[in-house]
Amino acid sequence: MESSRVGQDIVRCIVESAEAYLAPDGKKHPVISLKTVASIADSQGISAKEVEITALKHGVIPRRYLRNIGTIGLDGQIKLLQSTVAVVGAGGLGGTIVELLARQGVGYLIIIDNDCFTEDNLNRQIMSTERNLGEYKTAVAAKRAREVNSAITVTTFLERLTRENGQKLLSGAQVVVDGLDNLSSRLAVEQACRQLAIPYVHASIAGFSGQLMTIFPEDVGLSSVYGSSSNTIFEQGIETKTGNPSTTPALLAVLQVQEVVKIITGVGKPVRNQILLVDARECTIDRIELRR
Amino acid sequence: MALITVRFYSLWRLHTGTGSVTLQADNVDEALAQLEEKFGSQLREKLEADGIHLDGKIQDHSLILLNGIALHNLKTTGLEEGDVLYIFPPVAGG
Repeated sequence: MESSRVGQDIVRCIVESAEAYLAPDGKKHPVISLKTVASIADSQGISAKEVEITALKHGVIPRRYLRNIGTIGLDGQIKLLQSTVAVVGAGGLGGTIVELLARQGVGYLIIIDNDCFTEDNLNRQIMSTERNLGEYKTAVAAKRAREVNSAITVTTFLERLTRENGQKLLSGAQVVVDGLDNLSSRLAVEQACRQLAIPYVHASIAGFSGQLMTIFPEDVGLSSVYGSSSNTIFEQGIETKTGNPSTTPALLAVLQVQEVVKIITGVGKPVRNQILLVDARECTIDRIELRR
Repeated sequence: MALITVRFYSLWRLHTGTGSVTLQADNVDEALAQLEEKFGSQLREKLEADGIHLDGKIQDHSLILLNGIALHNLKTTGLEEGDVLYIFPPVAGG
């Protein structure tokens, strides 16, 4: 859709502006700088994202993504730039998820949270600083994402996701990522994702422990771990006692972002119908195959 | 009696001091009772030293899967030779 609006003169402009980059392996790659992307976007009246996608389609790598291409290829980067990812919760997990999705070059981000930063967030929530305490997490995360990558489009919702509004808030997303801190909200996200027929990348943490599951609409889900009856569900876990240290949220958020990249680019195998159990103290990762 | 394997994860692995045990039992309740007897006091003591109070039995504060199925979703809890029970604490932070 975007590329059809991009004329041959723009393509020529991109190709002519490309410089040769000599990679450490001795190969030369045509690259285009951030400044040149912005200049072409300005002069041609199109978005920086459209310039980047057009460049990639013609074998020219926006230099900011140069180190991504070896793992996901030009096509993978194009797919990411064309994708919409929703992040529900912008705290310990969510803040790092937003930061990495912006750096990876996911074109459209939806950030959902209704909370403000408080002092006890400073130990682990990467978006929180002493200066922005009291500010809304969505506003801070959106600002940060745009500072990291001005080509991406960020939409925020200052709301708590519920069973009632889940579908509306997540509409348009290709993948949803979990940055939540309670099970009932996670069940609401899972329900909305199943209704919208999109994958949901779940993670949760406590102390040195974390868990991750990627749930496609046809896959086993949270009920395969927690049971299906509301009587059996733990609303909170051992985090109420162990707390959440600085490292564990980042560790799981990194794995979640990798799942998103795998889903969108098709490179690699997502953790489906399994639960990944991460133990940072013992430095172990275990997988359990899940069944209905 | 079926010979089964029980696998512990996260804090439960740390505090029981083992990744897995084997035991013989006819059903899940019997297996959990054996685990409670073998590890219950040890787990409670160590968790309490960490400031985590385990008021009830191991299973009251654990997620438990039998061959990858949540215990709560099982229609029958009889055990067969080679079954695997997975036990880990619930984590819900973000």
